[in-house]
Amino acid sequence: MTPTTRKKLEIIIEAPLLGRVEALLGASGARGWSVFASLAGHSSHGDWRSDGLSDAQDKRLVIAVVSDAAAQAALEALTGFFQDYPGVVYVSDVTVLRGEKF
Amino acid sequence: MFDLAAQNLLSPAILFFALGLAAGLLRSDLSVPETAAKTLSLYLMLAIGFKGGVEAARAGLSADFATAAAAGVILSLAIPVIAFYALKTISTLDRPTAAATAAHYGSVSVVTFAAGSDFLRASGVDFGGYMVAVVALMETPAILVALMLAQGGTAKRQGMQGALLREVALNGSVVLLIGAFAIGAITGERGMQRLDLFVNPLFQGVLTLFLLDMGLVAARRLREARALTAPLVAFGLLMPLVSCACAVGISLALGVRQEDAAMLAILAASASYIAVPAAMRIALPQADPGVYLTLSLGITFPFNLTIGIPLYQAVTAMLLG
Repeated sequence: MTPTTRKKLEIIIEAPLLGRVEALLGASGARGWSVFASLAGHSSHGDWRSDGLSDAQDKRLVIAVVSDAAAQAALEALTGFFQDYPGVVYVSDVTVLRGEKF
Repeated sequence: MFDLAAQNLLSPAILFFALGLAAGLLRSDLSVPETAAKTLSLYLMLAIGFKGGVEAARAGLSADFATAAAAGVILSLAIPVIAFYALKTISTLDRPTAAATAAHYGSVSVVTFAAGSDFLRASGVDFGGYMVAVVALMETPAILVALMLAQGGTAKRQGMQGALLREVALNGSVVLLIGAFAIGAITGERGMQRLDLFVNPLFQGVLTLFLLDMGLVAARRLREARALTAPLVAFGLLMPLVSCACAVGISLALGVRQEDAAMLAILAASASYIAVPAAMRIALPQADPGVYLTLSLGITFPFNLTIGIPLYQAVTAMLLG
């Protein structure tokens, strides 16, 4: 198997918006992603912590490894999304095996 | 009335809430694991819903239910309007934050309902089991009213109402509450015989542990509150009284049973902190959750739990009795 370069998107968003971001990733051509729960953190708005009551301010980390074209499409869609909603996205190059799966 | 208030303040559940609040404010490392808190919350919804369903089946469908339901929906439509204009008058909150906060006060708190049920039953106030269904009916209308109040700068979100209704109507706690109510109504006494040990003797203990966690969460909210001003704190303490007055007025006008009116006043005075915050993050992301969550959880919930519930019961008994 030949190592191949792909784009890794790491998207941090508020929990209630997860469904929208997943839909956006799917429409951008991402073939898979994983979602991770949050514990606590700090931002320009102060500290936040998951409290088990309301997930209004809980965060979710979505990680997707995608092709260059899908990454470009997802970033364009996320640019519009982040005009309305809080969140961040990081993009990096990663080396994967079985590149055809991404 | 003072006896009732003292009795409420010195009950184990309220004292454990105070313990959680004190521990949180003193930055103790006491904590309830998040998954445990979620499980306790699920238990409370199941027990409240199921018991309400069994009681509703026992009593049968009645005009009293229809009257209480109509009163609940009217309150949920009217309270956000009052809350919104009160906030715009006494504070400098922007329109979206005032509207989102108004939605919280128009909707209801299921944990306040649980604590209120416990208090009313202990005081011999026999409100109808169908009040569980009234809780569910009061969850959503306030959100729609708040969105209308917020409109002006958010026209592109007007098409979101379907998605938002779905978000609130299918919120886990609402689904479990109504589902358990339906199961209780279907299985009736036979179902209660099977679940009696689970939903009755354990209830107080679980509520107590949950309120300990609520105390910790409320304290954390208060510690991290940066947006609260004196007028907003006054709003968090006075708005429940205004809502209680509205509940009493509508109960008198529609002829709601006194026992149901006591619970209706508790519901009207409560502010949501589970279903509505998530809906507001979707619908009004520019609204500041530091305001509405802190007011609802850090100010109004402790007030209702300690002073409000016995006060609302005494007021309804005096004016409708």
